[in-house]
Amino acid sequence: MIATDATKEGTEAPGGAGFPPFKTESFPSQIFWLVVTMTFLFVVLWRFAGPRIKGTLSERRGLIQKEIETAQESRRRAEAATVAYETPLFEARERARAINNQYREKAAEDVKKAEAEADANAERVTAEAEARLARIRSEAKTHIAGAAKDAAIEIVERLTGERVSDADATAAVSAAQEA
Amino acid sequence: MAMNPMEQFAVKPLIPLHIGGYDVSFTNQSLWMCIVIGAITLFMAMATSKRSLVPGRMQSMAEISYEFVANMIGTAAGEDGLRFFPFVFTLFMFVLFSNFLGLLPGSFTVTSQIVVTFALAAFVVAMVIVVGFIRHGIGFLKLFVPHAPWYLLILLIPIEFISFMTRPISLSVRLFANMLAGHTLLKVFASFVIALGGAGGILSLLSVAPFFLIVAITALELLVAFLQAYVFAILTCIYLNEGLHLHEHH
Repeated sequence: MIATDATKEGTEAPGGAGFPPFKTESFPSQIFWLVVTMTFLFVVLWRFAGPRIKGTLSERRGLIQKEIETAQESRRRAEAATVAYETPLFEARERARAINNQYREKAAEDVKKAEAEADANAERVTAEAEARLARIRSEAKTHIAGAAKDAAIEIVERLTGERVSDADATAAVSAAQEA
Repeated sequence: MAMNPMEQFAVKPLIPLHIGGYDVSFTNQSLWMCIVIGAITLFMAMATSKRSLVPGRMQSMAEISYEFVANMIGTAAGEDGLRFFPFVFTLFMFVLFSNFLGLLPGSFTVTSQIVVTFALAAFVVAMVIVVGFIRHGIGFLKLFVPHAPWYLLILLIPIEFISFMTRPISLSVRLFANMLAGHTLLKVFASFVIALGGAGGILSLLSVAPFFLIVAITALELLVAFLQAYVFAILTCIYLNEGLHLHEHH
């Protein structure tokens, strides 16, 4: 069917009548040489090419795996080194903070103590001053009363010529002061 | 040069040879099979000569084809299918190089011969049957019994059996017909170019059209050449999977 189409298509090839792939007389030769060449190719690929490619591939895979492991190991080491570097730094910083706090507390305490001392001092001085003031005030009162009594005795003597006793004058002065 | 597009498929004896009453002459087809396996061997030798860690172009291609076939078997036939790797790899490389080299002008396409593709396909199916019986004994015949009610089995078992038995034909004709059709088409359009070019006048200018069509079809044929090699190999894997695992999913 295809063969007739084909022969109609072009001019007749020399000895080319019929559909070439269906010409059975060449079949033994084709199969024979197919078996020969395929066997050869099979052996080449099975025994030589295949194992070599496989070897290269697994070698590369192994190397990549090893490289990855080395890289991971390096990273682990780097992380450990970072920790080793940062831990003392952190500790030192903590220690510095503790010392700082300690001194600040001590300073605050000192200030408080000094303030308390100063307060106590001030109170004491104030109390002393007040006591002295009160004493002076009462002394002054007594002095005023004495002076008033003497003056009263003298005034009465000058006015009346009579001399009043100290006790009467004192009583009269304190009565006047009371009023 | 003859204009018959079928002439390119003709098998012509180059060195007459007879063994045991059979005509096994070294023909142009034998020559091209030798060229095919020679090209593959040369390719592999060049690709694996250096075995460098960072592959060059050749080595890369060889490794890609190796892993391509290995992955194909692993996916289609499971891990234990990898035992058949050398066989499937040989088949794939042979069909691929035959298809590609057949695209060279003036070459002979080995896979455009039905007897070649049929021999390969029949070998594949025969191997599946042998592997199946070795693996499962008589239980391999369960391949023809799908999970279905008994009254359907009366119908299904013959269908399964026939579909299995026609595999050598479907597998071989697919490859053969694709190669044959593609090359015939190229030859027909090539003869148009010559016929139009020789016609003179305005017709000579028109010969450019089929010429560009040939370029396009050649590109398509490159795709078909690879695709058919792939289809042949993956169907081999799928059939092998049935021989190894029957209908179970691995």
